[in-house]
Parts: sequence; C-alpha cells; structure tokens
Amino acid sequence: MKIKTVLTYVVSLILIPTVILLGVMVFGKQSYPAISVIVAFLACVPFFLTFEREKNTRKIVLLAVMVALCVAGRFIFAPIQFFKPVSAIVILAGMYFGSQFGFLTGALSAVVSDFYFGQGPWTPFQMFSWGLIGFLAGVLSNPLIKSKIVLVLYGALSGVIFSLIMDVWTVLSLDGGEFNIDRFIAATITALPVIGIYVASNIIFLLILTPLFGKKIDRLKTKYGI
Amino acid sequence: MIKNLHPFVLFIYFFYVIFTAVFTFNPLFLLPALFGALLLLIKLDGVKIIKVSFAYVIIFILIALSNPLFSHNGATVLFFINDSRITLESLVYGICAALMIVSALVWFNCFNKVFDSEKIMYLLGRIFPKLALVFSMTLNFIPRMITEFKSIYNAQKSVKQSRIKRYTGSFSAVITRSMENSIVTSDSMNARGYMLKGKTFFHRYKFSAVDAIYLCVFTVLFALSIVWKSDVTFYPVIQMNLTSLNYISVIAFTVLTVLPFVLEVKEALKWKLFLSKI
Repeated sequence: MKIKTVLTYVVSLILIPTVILLGVMVFGKQSYPAISVIVAFLACVPFFLTFEREKNTRKIVLLAVMVALCVAGRFIFAPIQFFKPVSAIVILAGMYFGSQFGFLTGALSAVVSDFYFGQGPWTPFQMFSWGLIGFLAGVLSNPLIKSKIVLVLYGALSGVIFSLIMDVWTVLSLDGGEFNIDRFIAATITALPVIGIYVASNIIFLLILTPLFGKKIDRLKTKYGI
Repeated sequence: MIKNLHPFVLFIYFFYVIFTAVFTFNPLFLLPALFGALLLLIKLDGVKIIKVSFAYVIIFILIALSNPLFSHNGATVLFFINDSRITLESLVYGICAALMIVSALVWFNCFNKVFDSEKIMYLLGRIFPKLALVFSMTLNFIPRMITEFKSIYNAQKSVKQSRIKRYTGSFSAVITRSMENSIVTSDSMNARGYMLKGKTFFHRYKFSAVDAIYLCVFTVLFALSIVWKSDVTFYPVIQMNLTSLNYISVIAFTVLTVLPFVLEVKEALKWKLFLSKI
C-alpha cells in the first residue's frame, strides 16, 4: 500500500517533468505532439493508482455502471444526432460521488468508448479532458447540487473545456510541434458550431437528469442504507 | 500469425514502431513506417482499406498544405499568396508532419485490429487489477443496458409523448435499474469473498520460447534504429548529414516495420502449401 502512494508521487512529480525534458532536449520540437500524449496519459495514472486501494466493492461496481452508462448512452442516443449524454453523466458522477470518482468515470469512459470507436493518439486527451470535467464537478459538488444556475454554467463551461483541450491537441499535431496561435484560433472558430451543440446537449441533459439522479441516490440510500 | 504472439510482445512491438516513427521526425524513417503500416493493414483488412485510405489521403493533404500557409520560415521562397511567402522548407516540413500523423494513425488502426479488449485487459490487469475488473464489468454491462433500453423504449411507445421525452425517460429508467443492480452485484461479490487475499484471475496467454525470440529480435532492431538515428534540420534550409551508420539504422527500422507483414504472408503461404498436399 505504501509503495502505491510513493508511486503516485513518483509519477506526478518525477516522471512527467522527465518525459517533457527528455523529449524536448533529445528529440526537439517535432516531438511535442507525442510528448503531450504521454503526459496526458501519465496525468491519469495517479488516479488509477489510488483507485487500486479502494476497499469498497460497491464503489468498484458503481464505477463500472457509470462508465457503462456513458458508453451505452452514446449508442442509445445515436439516432438523435450530436445529442450525447457522456459529459452530463460524468458531471453527475463527480457531483454525487466525489471528485476522484468523477475523474475515473470520465477517463475510463474515454478508453472504453474507444474500444468501439477506435483507439488513437487522441485517447489520452479524451481521458484527461473528460476526467478533468468529472474532477471539477466533484470539487464544485455543493454549489452544483444546490443551484441550477451554477449547474447550467458548469455544463456550458465543460463543453467548452473539452473542445479547447482537444483543439490544443489538433493544433500541436497539425503543426508537427509548433503551437501556432493563429492556427488554434482558426481551429476553434471552425469548431464553434460543434462546441455550441456540445454545450446545448450538456445543459439539456443536466437539467433533465440531475433532479432524477438526486432522487435515485436518495432512494438507494434509504433502501440499502449506504 | 501476429495475433498469436503474447500480448506483451505485441504491445512492445507497437510501442517501438510508433515511438521511433514519431520521435525521429525524419522522412527516411517516416516513409518505411507508413509503408509497413499500410502493408500490414492491407493484410489484416483486405479490400476494406480503400474506404479508410480515402480519409487518410484527405488528412495528409490537409496537414501538408496547411503548414506552409501558417508558417513562413525558410529560405527558399516558392511564390507569394496575399503578400505572405510560401517556402519550400515549410512545405517539406508540412509533408513530414503529415507523414508522421498519418503513419501513427495507420499503426493505431493496425493496433485496434490486433489488440482485442481481452488482450488490453490482460496487460492492464498486471498493473491495475481492480481497474481491469471495472473494464470487464463495463464491457459486460454495455450490451445489456442497450437491450434493456430497447425493451423499455418499446413498451413506452404506447404512451403518447414526444420522442425526446421517451428517450430520456427510458434512459433514466435504465440508470435506476443498473444502479440498483450494482449494489446487489457488489453485495454478492462480497459474500463470495472478493475482498479476501489470494485470488487469481483467468487468462489464456503463455509466454513461449517463440515470444522470447521475437521480443529479442524486435528489441535489437529497435535499438539499432534508435542509436544511429539521423537528424534533419528544416529551417532555414533543409539539411541532413548521413553517414553509413545512419543507413544501418534506416535499414533496421525498415525491417522492423515490414516484419509483421512478412510473418503474416509466411503463415498464409504455409497454409496454402499444406492445404495443397492433402
């Protein structure tokens, strides 16, 4: 158990900076896209390591259910275009079960849905950005549950966060390592309609699902005495 | 068959190839990387590749041509567009970047074909056993949830309501049921002693002598191609100094990239030959 704690620190404090330094010094600018992929993956590792210490079987199974809901939701809502519940469910997981749980739900949903839609260099970025959305939802859980305005704002924000992080990757990979700010702006502007749809579907799903989800949790609490 | 190698050896192979291709950023490495990946994909996928390769060509052109539009470094000016210069160097740089991305994408496509979820779970389970459990449970839940959703949705059809409302309502019912089931499942797991020490988990992979040989071959080829890698400077003028040692590394890497294709073809030939004898 001690070893895993040490490993967590090793990964976040030593491994990530080493990868960046090594990449930049040995391989030069052209390796930025590859380095960014590795770093995005390494950023998720501490969460995975802490999860290995989870003693509560209920949390383990619940995590599997939440991840499965995200991916199944992608399939179920496939007939309604651009209307995907993934971010909304990740946010709900973070809100009600804590930030660590939220991060894991987001990160694992990315991996599992890429089993179906194809793994690629974008997978670690999806992992990191969905994970981040879930993590922040966990940090802000109290205001999110209490106020609808905060919820709507956060739903919108998370759609923007996701698109912007993915755009950073697009630009890095297109330019072979040089982060060109013109290109980033161009990519963001072309992505604007997609961002808009993301934001709208996030808000709609959150508004519909949050009250239902709260009721479900309360019911489970009284029924099984968690 | 490459699929029958031990998952660990396979994973290391893909890591070596993608790592070298992406980090050298040198056309001498990128071309064989793309070539080997395409050969393997054709062998694995057959005629279907035509459909995918269309997308690859578009991505390639997009990246290769957009770099000179955004980056104006380089000494050799080809022509001007709206007062901004288009240089030969940035065009070549763009082509290299396009080669890198497309070859990485094709390798990842091969990776998806060769690595099924069972292999990934096996590798993951070595380091993160609980996470691997979550993965296998999730993969089991997904199809079940979809069929459950369909049955609920079909039952709801007789109720008059909008399509969106029916979708979200049925989905919400799926959430409730699966969350309740999760608690029952976890209680059952506890009752069977999931948390006790000394449990093992099933897999069907064995590290054989053949795997060891392949691992050695891959590692030697990888080391050769990394040790004498040659650097290219693009700006202000393209420069590449090559010694005979650099050629060795290029040849080693080319062998590394076409090896799986050769293996696949060899197996296919063997199969044909034995078949004709019967």
